Parts: sequence; C-alpha cells; structure tokens
Amino acid sequence: MALLLHAYPIFQLSELSYRFITDVGSEYNCSFIAYAEYFKDQPHNIASKFYAFNLDLVNKDFKSKGVDKRIADTVITIVGDFLNSKITAVVYICDNSDNREVARSRKFLSWFTYAHHPSNEIIQVGGAFEAGGMKLYTALLVHRHNKLKKKLVEAYLDLIDYGDGEK
Amino acid sequence: MPSATTTSKKKVHLRSIAKAKPLTKVEMFKKMLADQKIIREAIQNGTSLEQLEKDHGFTFARLSHIPVK
Repeated sequence: MALLLHAYPIFQLSELSYRFITDVGSEYNCSFIAYAEYFKDQPHNIASKFYAFNLDLVNKDFKSKGVDKRIADTVITIVGDFLNSKITAVVYICDNSDNREVARSRKFLSWFTYAHHPSNEIIQVGGAFEAGGMKLYTALLVHRHNKLKKKLVEAYLDLIDYGDGEK
Repeated sequence: MPSATTTSKKKVHLRSIAKAKPLTKVEMFKKMLADQKIIREAIQNGTSLEQLEKDHGFTFARLSHIPVK
C-alpha cells in the first residue's frame, strides 16, 4: 500500500524534541520522556524500553478549529519513527486538565487504526488506569516486530490493572 | 562543622529512603500528570527540555533526524 501520510514538515529543535507548525499556525512540540520508573518491578529488564510521548501546543492561547488530519499524520510519522527501532514502547497519557481526556484518548487511538496505513506496523493497546477514584486514559504503542512486544504489553497491562486500582 | 555534616548526611539518607519506596498507583497517577504539566508549561514558557532534565531529573529520549519525504 502506498504511503498516504501527509505530514507537516518536522523540525528537530534539539536532540530532545521535534516541532511542527500547522497550516493555521499552531505550533506543536513532541518529545519522549523515559518511563522506566513505572516499570522497574517488571522482569526481563524492560523498564528502560518505556517512554511516554508528549504532544504539547507551544502557543497556549491558540484555539484550533475543525479537524486537521495532517496533525495525525505528523504524529504517526514521529511516533512511528521512534518505534522503528523495534526496541522501545510508547505510552500516551491523556491530559485531563480540561476534562477532555476521553475525547483525546479516542482521537489518539483512532490515529493508529487507519486502514491501509503504515501504522499497521504499530500495535496499540488502550486502557484506563484507575486509582484513588480517578481515571487516567492511556494507550500503549509498540512495533509489531518488536521482539519484546509480548512482555511490553504484559507490563503495561499490569500497570493499568483494574484489580488493584486502589493500591 | 560536625553539625552541618550530620544534617547533610541525614538529608541524603532520608532522600535515599524516599527514592527506594515504591510509588502507589495513586502516586504514579499524580506524578504522570504532574510531570506532563511541568513539561507543557516549560514548553509554553520557552524553557528547554535540557533544563528540565537538570531541574527535575527527567530523562528524555535522544532523537534522530526524521528525513523529509
């Protein structure tokens, strides 16, 4: 299948982050923060493979209107490139500061479920993490050919396990 | 000064105990969101991620150039 992505130009701001600017002028910063601390009890030394993806609007007062599919394409390009190492796994945590975490979760997961899309190479697992009466919407992304994928998914599911949510 | 040394050692000792204690799920939940907020606000304020690594002990992935297609 032909590559259908129509990503915005991606600039590497530093060794630690990428940026892109949309047609309407909103600027986004993308980075991956190590999440080993949340998986350090996991076997097989896989904690160091986990990173959280951050997608942050640089100009906070900017109000977007409508749907911009190129943002999805750009994020898929960035996250896909990161996962292409076939070593790492990416956790996405939906910001709940504006009470839009459910919509944010739905949108993010939809970005990686396009049919006939190179993101077919990426496995996603969506889950809500419950603790202390709060709910955190999350997703795990891992490359289909990552040799540790089963262990990475198991570790993620263990983290978001509902059974001991009040621990 | 002996008293200063003792205080310093005590602080280090307490810090190491705090680090060793595993986070509960509630603490994890709060820390994930709090760290995300710190990063978002830093970016909006023009603070570099390199500075965040120094100030908050975060570790960001070292990224490679993505070729333009």
